[in-house]
Amino acid sequence: MSLLTIPKLAAVRAARVPAPAAGRRPRRESRWVAVAFVAPLVIYLVLFYAYPLVQNVVMSLHRFDRFSFVNGGAPFVGFDIYAEVASQPRFWDVVRQTAIFTAASILFQYVIGLVLAAFFHRGGFRMSATLRGLFLIPWLLPVIVSGTTWQWMMSPDTGVLNAFLGMFGADPVWWLNADNALLSVTIANIWLGVPFNLVILYSGLQNIPADLYEAAALDGADAWQQFWRITVPMLRPVTLITLLLGLVYTLKVVDIIWIMTSGTGSSQTLATWSYAMAFGKGTSSVIRYSEASAVGTILLVVALLFGFVYIAVQRKQED
Amino acid sequence: MTTTTRVRRGLGLSMALATGLGLAACAGGGSTPEPGADGNASAGTTTAEITFWDPYPQHTEGTPWDEHVKSCAPDGSTIVRSSAPQTDLFNQLTTAVKEGTAPDVVVLDNPMMPEAVAAQLLATAEQAGIATTGIDENLMGPGVVDGVEYGVPFGSNALGLYYNADLLEEAGVDPATITDWASLEAALEKTVATGSKGITFSGIAGEEGVFQFLPWFWGSGADLSDIGTSEAVSAGQLLSGWVGKGWAPRSAATDNQSAAWDLFLTGEYAFAENGSWFAAAAADADFKTGVIPIPAKDGGVAPVPTGGEFAVAPIQSTDASDHYANAAAVIACLTEGEAAFTTNETLGYLSAKPDVRAEQVAASQLWEPWVAPIEGAAGRTTELGSEYVGVSASLSEALQGALNAAGDASGVETAFQDASGY
Repeated sequence: MSLLTIPKLAAVRAARVPAPAAGRRPRRESRWVAVAFVAPLVIYLVLFYAYPLVQNVVMSLHRFDRFSFVNGGAPFVGFDIYAEVASQPRFWDVVRQTAIFTAASILFQYVIGLVLAAFFHRGGFRMSATLRGLFLIPWLLPVIVSGTTWQWMMSPDTGVLNAFLGMFGADPVWWLNADNALLSVTIANIWLGVPFNLVILYSGLQNIPADLYEAAALDGADAWQQFWRITVPMLRPVTLITLLLGLVYTLKVVDIIWIMTSGTGSSQTLATWSYAMAFGKGTSSVIRYSEASAVGTILLVVALLFGFVYIAVQRKQED
Repeated sequence: MTTTTRVRRGLGLSMALATGLGLAACAGGGSTPEPGADGNASAGTTTAEITFWDPYPQHTEGTPWDEHVKSCAPDGSTIVRSSAPQTDLFNQLTTAVKEGTAPDVVVLDNPMMPEAVAAQLLATAEQAGIATTGIDENLMGPGVVDGVEYGVPFGSNALGLYYNADLLEEAGVDPATITDWASLEAALEKTVATGSKGITFSGIAGEEGVFQFLPWFWGSGADLSDIGTSEAVSAGQLLSGWVGKGWAPRSAATDNQSAAWDLFLTGEYAFAENGSWFAAAAADADFKTGVIPIPAKDGGVAPVPTGGEFAVAPIQSTDASDHYANAAAVIACLTEGEAAFTTNETLGYLSAKPDVRAEQVAASQLWEPWVAPIEGAAGRTTELGSEYVGVSASLSEALQGALNAAGDASGVETAFQDASGY
């Protein structure tokens, strides 16, 4: 996008050239000053963003193993690694699981967050602030603590969750087995993400002028109509950013899944798969640098695409 | 936003990308040591600072192991020790050798040895001045690649079948009668019938679960060269059946060895498959414990995999001889003479040298039942070399599938047939 605008630069320069000679020196000086100001940022971006990203892509185009990682000489194989990863029988399973995990997490986090935010926004009752503080706990706890606690609660033999279900006569559920693992880690991840949605949506609600509701009430709109006709449309910009950030956060989730299941069974997502292959963790201790980079790049591209969608939607809203 | 700022930003980005590409292009070179780099311990002298990496983060600074290692610094040197879990340590070693900043001594888990050698991370034992005389052949096995020795194992551990003597007595089971799978299952059935739980083991995904599965796998007559045989499936079926019948906890699929041991310590389980490093803890349990060898399918003792680590010297690119001299001095101190005894007792291992082992057994009767399993143990990588890690990954996947099938025969069979370990 930016590259397409470069020809315009030439035009700008051409327009500048006839400028009086006297004005030249100070302008050049100020340009160097500008460069000096920008340099730290550019160097930072290159070292910590561009270089690792490019290195990641380069790795996915060469066939690395432990020997060639150390001693060099990994052969260039083009997109072979991508083809091999995509032709793995499990690839599409993992993609499907990632999609379900991400979509379900975002949907429930948003809905629950919105309901809670609306509830607290109405406020007016004692302990409202305290309660709202309590809802932030999942956000404040280290994930290693909450992940281990969820794993313990979901223990198939002695977990409190099964004990609770047992009180209603339900059979114990094997939460973390291959089939149920995706459901279990999604539940834990929803719990983790609710506070973030609650906080952002709550502050969004506070920005809606109260007189809108007053006017609506005078016109005879009931609570339901006020919600759909005022709250929802006024919250749209906040909703958009919440969902996009949620998407990017959820796509790359490794910690909570890893702590609970090590990515076994249906809980393997693109992010955990990439992590497992990059460091030889989980089921296989074989290290697969190139395959891990390929999956990582795929994830990046997906996140980037949604980033563009966000920018496009935002532009449209501004217009 | 004006056109000019947008243009400038565009330029900045493309500049950034170009520089990034340039950097990436030269990343391949650098100070990577030449394969088979030269240098010899006998030509070097020890340096003021010696770096030592081990996979025992539980032994923090000031613990007996930490002090024992540091006491091995030669005159005029100090040892800087750091620890990380097995897999992380191996990854850190890989990067360190690549960057030319490898430590002087690394303690590496034995199944990682062939891969470390294949990636040219390790100096030969001869080069690094490491003595390997008097070490049992089966324990040295993982450290020998193409007839060349790399590093030395200082001690070993093995798996056995712990039992809760109180519960067995209650159920009228004599542990001496457990000599094959059928008699073990009969004993499990009896103990469960009297109200206790059956057996705990670790089936967690990855090498740890495979380590615990191998005695049953090998005990069935199966072979690592083909994990799809009917013998292999029968081993998976055995453990899967225990989960299905409720004799083993379903959490076995996610329990590591410590978690499985904690379950046994509750006193509710009659048996526990676990390692010799818990021998002292078993003696301190609130109930009477004992240990028997893991039985093979049709009788006799099942081969268990060798457990334990190798002390190795990584390849060095600069001042190699001095680094190897450091390694030679520290490793000799840990594995020879009186210190060999302390090294193993501190870690809860049995020495890899028969004479030191005999000393340990004479000093504590806890060790007596573990001598035979360790002497009969088989190296995980002895048959397959660096191919082992791939097979282990498939086996781990098969085991996970089998435990999830909870006794369903066709499920277990599919798990073993489909396992690809990718």
